[in-house]
Amino acid sequence: MRRELERVEIPGEHDARGRAWAVAQAAFAEREPTPPARHRLRLAVVIAIAAAVLAAALSPPGRAVLDGIREAVGVENPQPALFSLPAGGRLLVASGSGVWVVDEDGSKRLLGDYQEATWSPFGRFVGAARTNELAAVEPNGDVRWTLARPGVSFPRWSGTDIDTRIAYLVGHRPRVVAGDGTADESLCSTSSRRAAAAWRPGTGFVVALLAPSGAVRVVDLDGCRAAWQSEPIPTASRVEWSSDGARVLVSGANRARVLNGRTGAPLGDVHALEAAFRPGTHDLALIRTRRGTSEVVLGSTTLFSGAGALSGLTWSPDGRWLLVGWPAADQWVFVRANGRSIRAVANVTRQFRSGSFPRVDGWCCSP
Amino acid sequence: MRTGRDERAHVRGAQRGSASDLEALFRTHWPRAHRAAYLVTHDAQAAEDIAQEAFIAAVRALDRFDRRRPFGPWLHRIVVNRAIDWTRARQLRAEVELGESLPAADPAGAPSDDLLAALGRLPPEHRAVIVLRHLLEFTPGEIAEALDLPRGTVNSRLRRGLDSLRDEL
Repeated sequence: MRRELERVEIPGEHDARGRAWAVAQAAFAEREPTPPARHRLRLAVVIAIAAAVLAAALSPPGRAVLDGIREAVGVENPQPALFSLPAGGRLLVASGSGVWVVDEDGSKRLLGDYQEATWSPFGRFVGAARTNELAAVEPNGDVRWTLARPGVSFPRWSGTDIDTRIAYLVGHRPRVVAGDGTADESLCSTSSRRAAAAWRPGTGFVVALLAPSGAVRVVDLDGCRAAWQSEPIPTASRVEWSSDGARVLVSGANRARVLNGRTGAPLGDVHALEAAFRPGTHDLALIRTRRGTSEVVLGSTTLFSGAGALSGLTWSPDGRWLLVGWPAADQWVFVRANGRSIRAVANVTRQFRSGSFPRVDGWCCSP
Repeated sequence: MRTGRDERAHVRGAQRGSASDLEALFRTHWPRAHRAAYLVTHDAQAAEDIAQEAFIAAVRALDRFDRRRPFGPWLHRIVVNRAIDWTRARQLRAEVELGESLPAADPAGAPSDDLLAALGRLPPEHRAVIVLRHLLEFTPGEIAEALDLPRGTVNSRLRRGLDSLRDEL
C-alpha cells in the first residue's frame, strides 16, 4: 500500500517544492534565531570561512560556489541607507530592536521594544503591542497610556477624528479598546485565528475577523450584529478591506481570494504569496514566486522581479509607490506603480539594529 | 537513513538560524507532507498551499518546538488535519470544478491512478486515516491522538476504508 501511495503522481510536484522552499526561506529569514553560544558561533564562522576558501582553492565546484556567492541577489547600486521616502507619509517598522517611526526625510526614531504596531487613523499616534502590554504612543516616543493584558498581539486602530477604537488579540480572543485606553472589552465574544482584525473603512465600527474555521466574519460593534460570514477558507491568515469597503481580500499560504464586501460572496481567486489592494482602487498588487524567482505584479504588469523570496507589500498612502522587502539581499525596494522607477535601499537590517529582516507595519498619512 | 538524533540536531540548528539545517528538515519532510495533503484533498493547488502553510507554521514555531518530540509527525499531523478541513469545506461549497481536479478516468490506468481514484471516492476522514497509517506510518494510537478520535473509530475507519479500496480495485 505504501509503495502505491508513493507512486501516485502529483501534478506540478517539482515546481511546488521549489515554491514551498522559497516561501519557507522567506519565513525563516523573518524570524529571530535563538542566539547560539558566542564561542560556538565564532568557531562555526571560522570553520565555514576555512571550508569555503579550501573548496575554492582545491576544486572547480568550490570555485563555482564562491562565484555564486559573488553574484549576490539585490538591486545593483542601492542607496546605502534610507535617506528619504519616495512619497509622503511615515513608516512604522517592526524590527528585532523594537518599533520604529521613519519620517519622510529618512530620520528614524525607536519608540520602544514593542513587537507590532499600528497607526491611528490620522497618523497622530501609534498603537504598539508587546507580549503583555498594549500602548498608545506619540510618534515622538511619549507614551499616552498602556493597558496590561496577557499575550497581546495584532493591534489595529481605526475610527474618525472624534472616536477611535483599537482591535487586538489576547491569545485567540479579539478585544477592543477605545482610543483613549478606556472601555476595554471582549470584541462581541468572538474567537479568531491568530490574525489581525480588519476595520471596514468609513464611519461606524465594522470589523472583519478570521474565524477559527477560516471563514471571514464581519461584525458591527453597534449591537454586535453579524453582517455576514463567508465560506471557510482553510489557508486564510490575513484579511484586508479595499479602501471603499466594497471588497475584502483574504490571503494565506499561496492563494488570495477577493470577496464582496457587502455579502461575503467570493468574486475570484488569485495565486499569490502576498496581495494588497492599491489605495483608492480594487487593483491588487501581488507577490508571486516561480522557479526560485519572485515578482511583484500589478494587474497584468510585472513591476519588479528578483531571485529568491520577496516579502511584505506596503502601498504608499497616495498609491503611487509600493515598498517590498527582499530579505536575502537585505534590501527594501520601492517600486513605482507605473513600473517606470525603482529605488533600493541596502543594509536594512543594520539600520534598524535588528537580527532579522524588519517588517513594515504601515505607511501612513503625512502628519 | 536519518536518525532521530540527526533530526534533533537539524531542529536545534534551525532554531539557531542555520538555513542548511532548515533545508535538511525541508528535504526530509516536505515530500511526504505534500503527498499526504494531495492524497486527502485530491487537489494539487490546495495540497501545495496546505503543506506550505504547515511548513511555514512550523518555521514560525521553531523557537517553541520541544526538540525531544519528533518533527515529522508534528508537521504531518498539522497537514492532515488542515487537509481534512479543506476537503470538508470544499464539499460544503460543492465546487463545480471538483471533477476537473480529480484524476481523469483512464481505463488502462496505472495501479496508482486507480488507487487515487478509489481513494477519492472515500470520505475525507477515511482517506486521512489511510494516509496516516499507510503513507506516514502512524500507529492507530497515534492516529487517534492526531485526529482527536477514539481509537475504536480509527480502527473502524481503517477497516472500512481498506475494504472499500479492496472492492474498488
